[in-house]
Amino acid sequence: MQSFISGSIRLGQRQGFSRWRSAHFKSSTGAYLPSQISTNVAHGANNSIKSSQNHILQFLGTRFGSQTKELMFPGSYGGCSVPELSPLATMMSSSSSRCMTTAASPTTDSSESVTDVPARIKFKRLDKTARNIMKESPLFPFILDKEAVEEVKEQREIPDIKPGYIVQLKVEVPENKRRLSTIKGIVIARRNAGLNTTFRIRRMVAGVGVESLFPLYSPNIKEIKVLDKKKVRRAKLYYLRNKMNALR
Amino acid sequence: MIQPQTHLNVTNNSGARELMCIRVIGASNRRYAHIGDVIVAVIKEAVPNTPLERSEVIRAVIVRTCKELKRDNGMIIRYDDNAAVVIDQEGNPKGTRIFGAIARELRQLNFTKIVSLAPEVL
Repeated sequence: MQSFISGSIRLGQRQGFSRWRSAHFKSSTGAYLPSQISTNVAHGANNSIKSSQNHILQFLGTRFGSQTKELMFPGSYGGCSVPELSPLATMMSSSSSRCMTTAASPTTDSSESVTDVPARIKFKRLDKTARNIMKESPLFPFILDKEAVEEVKEQREIPDIKPGYIVQLKVEVPENKRRLSTIKGIVIARRNAGLNTTFRIRRMVAGVGVESLFPLYSPNIKEIKVLDKKKVRRAKLYYLRNKMNALR
Repeated sequence: MIQPQTHLNVTNNSGARELMCIRVIGASNRRYAHIGDVIVAVIKEAVPNTPLERSEVIRAVIVRTCKELKRDNGMIIRYDDNAAVVIDQEGNPKGTRIFGAIARELRQLNFTKIVSLAPEVL
Protein backbone atom coordinates (compact mmCIF):
# COMPACT_ATOMS: atom_id res chain seq x y z
CA MET A 1 0.00 0.00 0.00
CA GLN A 2 2.82 2.36 0.78
CA SER A 3 4.37 1.90 -2.62
CA PHE A 4 1.05 2.38 -4.34
CA ILE A 5 0.26 5.67 -2.72
CA SER A 6 3.76 7.04 -2.90
CA GLY A 7 3.93 6.02 -6.55
CA SER A 8 0.69 7.82 -7.30
CA ILE A 9 1.89 10.94 -5.46
CA ARG A 10 5.08 11.03 -7.48
CA LEU A 11 3.09 10.44 -10.65
CA GLY A 12 0.92 13.41 -9.84
CA GLN A 13 4.06 15.50 -9.25
CA ARG A 14 5.64 14.64 -12.56
CA GLN A 15 2.56 15.14 -14.62
CA GLY A 16 1.99 18.67 -13.41
CA PHE A 17 -0.55 20.52 -11.42
CA SER A 18 -3.66 19.83 -13.48
CA ARG A 19 -3.20 16.13 -13.03
CA TRP A 20 -2.46 16.61 -9.40
CA ARG A 21 -5.75 18.31 -8.96
CA SER A 22 -7.81 15.84 -10.92
CA ALA A 23 -9.95 13.16 -9.45
CA HIS A 24 -7.61 10.56 -10.92
CA PHE A 25 -5.34 10.70 -7.92
CA LYS A 26 -8.18 10.72 -5.47
CA SER A 27 -9.92 7.78 -7.08
CA SER A 28 -6.68 5.80 -7.04
CA THR A 29 -6.18 6.27 -3.31
CA GLY A 30 -9.86 5.74 -2.74
CA ALA A 31 -9.71 2.47 -4.58
CA TYR A 32 -6.80 1.29 -2.50
CA LEU A 33 -8.05 2.23 0.93
CA PRO A 34 -11.33 0.36 1.11
CA SER A 35 -9.67 -2.75 -0.30
CA GLN A 36 -7.23 -2.58 2.57
CA ILE A 37 -10.05 -2.13 5.00
CA SER A 38 -12.04 -4.96 3.44
CA THR A 39 -9.11 -7.34 3.74
CA ASN A 40 -8.88 -6.38 7.40
CA VAL A 41 -12.58 -7.03 7.79
CA ALA A 42 -12.12 -10.41 6.16
CA HIS A 43 -9.69 -11.15 8.98
CA GLY A 44 -12.59 -10.34 11.26
CA ALA A 45 -11.23 -8.04 13.97
CA ASN A 46 -12.65 -4.61 14.87
CA ASN A 47 -9.48 -3.54 16.56
CA SER A 48 -7.51 -4.19 13.44
CA ILE A 49 -9.84 -1.94 11.42
CA LYS A 50 -9.36 0.97 13.75
CA SER A 51 -5.68 0.46 14.04
CA SER A 52 -5.36 0.19 10.28
CA GLN A 53 -7.43 3.33 9.94
CA ASN A 54 -5.15 5.23 12.27
CA HIS A 55 -2.14 3.74 10.60
CA ILE A 56 -3.40 4.87 7.20
CA LEU A 57 -4.20 8.34 8.49
CA GLN A 58 -0.81 8.66 10.10
CA PHE A 59 0.86 7.37 7.00
CA LEU A 60 -1.03 9.79 4.80
CA GLY A 61 -0.24 12.63 7.13
CA THR A 62 3.48 11.98 7.10
CA ARG A 63 3.46 11.29 3.39
CA PHE A 64 1.77 14.57 2.61
CA GLY A 65 3.98 16.43 5.03
CA SER A 66 7.17 15.18 3.44
CA GLN A 67 5.89 15.67 -0.08
CA THR A 68 4.93 19.27 0.53
CA LYS A 69 8.49 20.15 1.37
CA GLU A 70 9.74 18.65 -1.84
CA LEU A 71 7.29 20.40 -4.10
CA MET A 72 8.02 23.74 -5.72
CA PHE A 73 5.14 25.71 -4.27
CA PRO A 74 4.88 24.71 -0.67
CA GLY A 75 2.48 27.48 0.24
CA SER A 76 -0.32 26.28 -1.94
CA TYR A 77 0.21 22.64 -1.16
CA GLY A 78 0.55 23.04 2.55
CA GLY A 79 -2.83 24.64 2.53
CA CYS A 80 -4.30 21.96 0.33
CA SER A 81 -3.06 19.00 2.27
CA VAL A 82 -5.07 19.77 5.36
CA PRO A 83 -8.50 19.92 3.78
CA GLU A 84 -7.62 16.90 1.73
CA LEU A 85 -7.07 14.76 4.81
CA SER A 86 -10.34 15.49 6.52
CA PRO A 87 -12.63 14.47 3.66
CA LEU A 88 -10.50 11.37 3.22
CA ALA A 89 -10.86 10.69 6.91
CA THR A 90 -14.61 11.15 6.81
CA MET A 91 -14.80 9.00 3.73
CA MET A 92 -12.67 6.39 5.38
CA SER A 93 -14.72 6.34 8.58
CA SER A 94 -17.95 6.06 6.64
CA SER A 95 -16.57 3.37 4.37
CA SER A 96 -15.12 1.48 7.29
CA SER A 97 -18.45 1.62 9.08
CA ARG A 98 -20.06 0.33 5.95
CA CYS A 99 -17.48 -2.45 5.70
CA MET A 100 -18.06 -3.42 9.30
CA THR A 101 -21.81 -3.87 8.85
CA THR A 102 -21.74 -5.78 5.58
CA ALA A 103 -18.69 -7.94 5.74
CA ALA A 104 -19.92 -10.29 3.06
CA SER A 105 -19.82 -7.90 0.11
CA PRO A 106 -16.67 -5.76 0.05
CA THR A 107 -16.67 -5.26 -3.73
CA THR A 108 -19.88 -3.17 -3.87
CA ASP A 109 -18.63 -0.95 -1.06
CA SER A 110 -15.39 -0.25 -2.84
CA SER A 111 -17.25 0.77 -6.00
CA GLU A 112 -19.51 3.09 -3.99
CA SER A 113 -16.61 4.76 -2.29
CA VAL A 114 -14.79 5.18 -5.60
CA THR A 115 -17.73 7.12 -7.05
CA ASP A 116 -18.06 9.06 -3.80
CA VAL A 117 -14.46 10.24 -3.76
CA PRO A 118 -14.39 12.70 -6.68
CA ALA A 119 -17.59 14.36 -5.49
CA ARG A 120 -16.37 15.07 -1.98
CA ILE A 121 -12.85 16.32 -2.44
CA LYS A 122 -12.69 19.68 -4.18
CA PHE A 123 -9.71 21.90 -4.77
CA LYS A 124 -10.32 25.59 -4.55
CA ARG A 125 -6.95 27.05 -5.34
CA LEU A 126 -6.56 26.38 -9.05
CA ASP A 127 -6.23 29.93 -10.29
CA LYS A 128 -3.98 31.05 -7.46
CA THR A 129 -1.30 28.57 -8.31
CA ALA A 130 -1.61 29.31 -12.01
CA ARG A 131 -0.91 32.93 -11.27
CA ASN A 132 2.01 31.93 -9.09
CA ILE A 133 3.50 29.96 -11.93
CA MET A 134 3.40 32.91 -14.28
CA LYS A 135 4.85 35.27 -11.72
CA GLU A 136 7.43 33.14 -10.00
CA SER A 137 8.77 31.33 -13.02
CA PRO A 138 10.97 33.98 -14.56
CA LEU A 139 10.74 32.45 -17.96
CA PHE A 140 8.22 33.96 -20.28
CA PRO A 141 7.54 37.65 -19.59
CA PHE A 142 11.02 38.73 -18.53
CA ILE A 143 12.85 37.33 -21.48
CA LEU A 144 10.62 39.19 -23.93
CA ASP A 145 11.13 42.37 -21.94
CA LYS A 146 14.91 42.06 -21.92
CA GLU A 147 15.00 41.47 -25.64
CA ALA A 148 12.82 44.48 -26.32
CA VAL A 149 15.00 46.66 -24.10
CA GLU A 150 18.17 45.54 -25.86
CA GLU A 151 16.60 46.23 -29.22
CA VAL A 152 15.81 49.79 -28.27
CA LYS A 153 19.24 50.29 -26.76
CA GLU A 154 20.89 49.27 -30.01
CA GLN A 155 18.92 51.83 -31.97
CA ARG A 156 19.44 54.86 -29.75
CA GLU A 157 22.01 55.64 -27.18
CA ILE A 158 20.19 55.89 -23.85
CA PRO A 159 22.43 57.00 -21.00
CA ASP A 160 21.99 55.98 -17.44
CA ILE A 161 19.55 58.30 -15.70
CA LYS A 162 19.44 58.49 -11.95
CA PRO A 163 17.60 60.85 -9.64
CA GLY A 164 19.55 64.03 -9.15
CA TYR A 165 20.78 64.27 -12.73
CA ILE A 166 20.05 67.40 -14.70
CA VAL A 167 18.97 66.19 -18.08
CA GLN A 168 18.07 67.72 -21.41
CA LEU A 169 15.65 65.82 -23.62
CA LYS A 170 14.68 66.30 -27.21
CA VAL A 171 11.12 65.10 -27.57
CA GLU A 172 9.25 64.84 -30.81
CA VAL A 173 5.62 65.87 -30.61
CA PRO A 174 3.59 64.05 -33.22
CA GLU A 175 0.64 66.44 -33.05
CA ASN A 176 0.90 68.31 -36.35
CA LYS A 177 4.27 69.86 -35.47
CA ARG A 178 7.44 68.14 -36.50
CA ARG A 179 9.61 70.34 -34.31
CA LEU A 180 11.69 68.82 -31.56
CA SER A 181 10.97 70.42 -28.22
CA THR A 182 13.80 70.51 -25.74
CA ILE A 183 12.96 69.77 -22.15
CA LYS A 184 15.50 70.51 -19.49
CA GLY A 185 15.02 69.62 -15.87
CA ILE A 186 16.10 67.58 -12.91
CA VAL A 187 15.25 63.92 -12.65
CA ILE A 188 13.34 63.38 -9.43
CA ALA A 189 12.26 59.78 -9.75
CA ARG A 190 12.94 56.69 -11.75
CA ARG A 191 10.75 53.61 -11.82
CA ASN A 192 12.24 50.41 -13.20
CA ALA A 193 9.81 48.11 -14.97
CA GLY A 194 11.69 46.58 -17.89
CA LEU A 195 10.47 48.16 -21.07
CA ASN A 196 8.13 50.45 -19.19
CA THR A 197 10.84 52.13 -17.18
CA THR A 198 9.73 55.70 -16.53
CA PHE A 199 11.41 58.73 -15.09
CA ARG A 200 10.08 62.07 -13.87
CA ILE A 201 11.55 65.41 -14.72
CA ARG A 202 10.78 68.56 -12.81
CA ARG A 203 11.24 71.95 -14.38
CA MET A 204 10.00 75.51 -14.27
CA VAL A 205 7.98 76.59 -17.27
CA ALA A 206 6.97 80.24 -17.49
CA GLY A 207 6.84 80.63 -13.73
CA VAL A 208 4.99 77.39 -13.03
CA GLY A 209 6.55 74.18 -11.85
CA VAL A 210 5.83 71.27 -14.16
CA GLU A 211 6.56 67.61 -13.64
CA SER A 212 6.61 65.34 -16.64
CA LEU A 213 6.82 61.61 -16.65
CA PHE A 214 8.36 59.93 -19.69
CA PRO A 215 8.80 56.30 -20.60
CA LEU A 216 12.55 55.84 -20.92
CA TYR A 217 12.35 53.74 -24.07
CA SER A 218 9.69 55.79 -25.78
CA PRO A 219 10.28 56.32 -29.49
CA ASN A 220 9.26 59.96 -29.10
CA ILE A 221 12.36 60.79 -27.12
CA LYS A 222 14.97 61.48 -29.70
CA GLU A 223 17.90 62.41 -27.54
CA ILE A 224 18.83 62.41 -23.89
CA LYS A 225 21.81 64.37 -22.67
CA VAL A 226 23.03 64.44 -19.10
CA LEU A 227 24.19 67.95 -18.20
CA ASP A 228 24.99 67.74 -14.52
CA LYS A 229 24.86 65.36 -11.62
CA LYS A 230 23.75 66.53 -8.22
CA LYS A 231 24.48 64.64 -5.09
CA VAL A 232 21.27 63.39 -3.53
CA ARG A 233 20.71 60.91 -0.79
CA ARG A 234 17.35 59.68 -1.91
CA ALA A 235 15.77 57.76 -4.76
CA LYS A 236 12.66 59.91 -5.08
CA LEU A 237 13.11 63.64 -4.69
CA TYR A 238 9.55 64.62 -4.03
CA TYR A 239 10.65 67.07 -1.35
CA LEU A 240 11.61 69.43 -4.16
CA ARG A 241 7.94 70.15 -4.71
CA ASN A 242 7.86 72.16 -1.52
CA LYS A 243 11.18 73.84 -2.12
CA MET A 244 10.31 75.55 -5.41
CA ASN A 245 13.72 76.73 -6.52
CA ALA A 246 13.79 79.98 -8.42
CA LEU A 247 16.06 78.51 -11.07
CA ARG A 248 15.29 75.39 -13.03
CA MET B 1 -9.68 67.09 -10.18
CA ILE B 2 -11.40 70.38 -9.53
CA GLN B 3 -14.64 70.24 -7.63
CA PRO B 4 -16.88 72.87 -6.06
CA GLN B 5 -15.13 74.91 -3.36
CA THR B 6 -11.75 74.56 -5.10
CA HIS B 7 -9.75 77.75 -5.36
CA LEU B 8 -8.02 78.37 -8.65
CA ASN B 9 -5.53 80.91 -9.85
CA VAL B 10 -6.40 82.99 -12.85
CA THR B 11 -3.88 83.10 -15.65
CA ASN B 12 -5.05 85.95 -17.81
CA ASN B 13 -5.34 89.62 -17.33
CA SER B 14 -9.10 89.73 -17.21
CA GLY B 15 -9.10 91.31 -13.77
CA ALA B 16 -9.78 88.38 -11.51
CA ARG B 17 -7.04 86.90 -9.38
CA GLU B 18 -8.59 83.96 -7.62
CA LEU B 19 -11.68 81.95 -8.38
CA MET B 20 -13.68 79.43 -6.44
CA CYS B 21 -15.35 76.70 -8.41
CA ILE B 22 -19.09 76.40 -7.94
CA ARG B 23 -20.14 73.86 -10.51
CA VAL B 24 -18.64 71.60 -13.14
CA ILE B 25 -20.31 71.98 -16.51
CA GLY B 26 -21.17 68.72 -18.20
CA ALA B 27 -23.36 65.95 -16.87
CA SER B 28 -25.80 66.54 -14.07
CA ASN B 29 -23.86 64.90 -11.26
CA ARG B 30 -20.38 65.42 -12.63
CA ARG B 31 -17.92 65.30 -9.79
CA TYR B 32 -14.56 66.48 -11.03
CA ALA B 33 -13.23 68.77 -13.69
CA HIS B 34 -9.92 68.20 -15.44
CA ILE B 35 -7.85 70.20 -17.89
CA GLY B 36 -10.08 71.47 -20.66
CA ASP B 37 -13.35 71.40 -18.74
CA VAL B 38 -15.50 74.47 -18.26
CA ILE B 39 -16.54 75.40 -14.75
CA VAL B 40 -18.77 78.02 -13.21
CA ALA B 41 -16.83 80.00 -10.65
CA VAL B 42 -17.19 82.99 -8.38
CA ILE B 43 -14.47 85.60 -8.16
CA LYS B 44 -12.91 85.61 -4.72
CA GLU B 45 -10.21 88.16 -5.34
CA ALA B 46 -9.96 90.74 -8.08
CA VAL B 47 -7.53 93.35 -9.29
CA PRO B 48 -8.95 96.82 -8.56
CA ASN B 49 -10.23 99.09 -11.34
CA THR B 50 -11.07 96.32 -13.79
CA PRO B 51 -14.39 95.31 -15.33
CA LEU B 52 -14.57 92.13 -13.23
CA GLU B 53 -15.34 92.49 -9.54
CA ARG B 54 -15.36 90.34 -6.48
CA SER B 55 -18.28 87.88 -5.98
CA GLU B 56 -19.22 87.88 -9.60
CA VAL B 57 -20.24 84.56 -11.18
CA ILE B 58 -18.36 83.78 -14.37
CA ARG B 59 -17.27 80.84 -16.44
CA ALA B 60 -13.73 79.59 -16.73
CA VAL B 61 -11.81 76.82 -18.45
CA ILE B 62 -9.24 74.84 -16.49
CA VAL B 63 -5.73 74.97 -17.90
CA ARG B 64 -3.54 73.59 -15.13
CA THR B 65 -4.21 71.00 -12.46
CA CYS B 66 -2.18 69.37 -9.76
CA LYS B 67 -3.75 66.10 -10.83
CA GLU B 68 -1.80 64.41 -13.61
CA LEU B 69 -2.88 64.64 -17.20
CA LYS B 70 -2.22 61.40 -19.05
CA ARG B 71 -1.42 61.21 -22.71
CA ASP B 72 -1.67 58.30 -25.07
CA ASN B 73 2.07 58.07 -25.67
CA GLY B 74 2.72 57.33 -22.01
CA MET B 75 3.61 60.88 -21.04
CA ILE B 76 2.14 62.35 -17.88
CA ILE B 77 2.12 66.04 -17.04
CA ARG B 78 1.55 67.44 -13.62
CA TYR B 79 1.52 71.10 -12.69
CA ASP B 80 2.19 72.66 -9.35
CA ASP B 81 -1.04 74.57 -9.03
CA ASN B 82 -4.61 74.70 -10.26
CA ALA B 83 -5.37 77.47 -12.69
CA ALA B 84 -8.11 78.60 -15.03
CA VAL B 85 -8.73 81.15 -17.73
CA VAL B 86 -11.81 83.32 -17.51
CA ILE B 87 -13.95 82.93 -20.62
CA ASP B 88 -17.27 84.17 -21.85
CA GLN B 89 -20.23 82.16 -23.09
CA GLU B 90 -18.70 81.37 -26.49
CA GLY B 91 -15.36 80.23 -25.15
CA ASN B 92 -13.21 83.26 -25.90
CA PRO B 93 -10.91 84.44 -23.15
CA LYS B 94 -11.86 87.71 -21.55
CA GLY B 95 -8.42 89.27 -21.26
CA THR B 96 -5.73 89.88 -23.80
CA ARG B 97 -2.80 88.00 -22.35
CA ILE B 98 -2.25 84.59 -20.86
CA PHE B 99 0.48 83.74 -18.36
CA GLY B 100 2.01 80.39 -17.76
CA ALA B 101 2.09 77.19 -19.79
CA ILE B 102 -0.93 75.66 -21.44
CA ALA B 103 -1.48 71.99 -22.16
CA ARG B 104 -1.76 70.90 -25.75
CA GLU B 105 -5.13 69.26 -25.20
CA LEU B 106 -6.89 72.62 -25.25
CA ARG B 107 -6.31 72.90 -28.95
CA GLN B 108 -8.45 69.88 -29.68
CA LEU B 109 -11.19 71.24 -27.46
CA ASN B 110 -11.57 74.35 -29.64
CA PHE B 111 -9.89 76.81 -27.32
CA THR B 112 -7.61 77.92 -30.11
CA LYS B 113 -7.48 81.55 -29.03
CA ILE B 114 -6.14 80.56 -25.63
CA VAL B 115 -3.53 78.28 -27.17
CA SER B 116 -2.39 80.96 -29.59
CA LEU B 117 -1.94 83.53 -26.84
CA ALA B 118 -0.03 81.18 -24.57
CA PRO B 119 3.69 81.79 -24.07
CA GLU B 120 4.41 78.12 -23.95
CA VAL B 121 2.36 75.12 -25.01
CA LEU B 122 3.32 71.92 -23.31
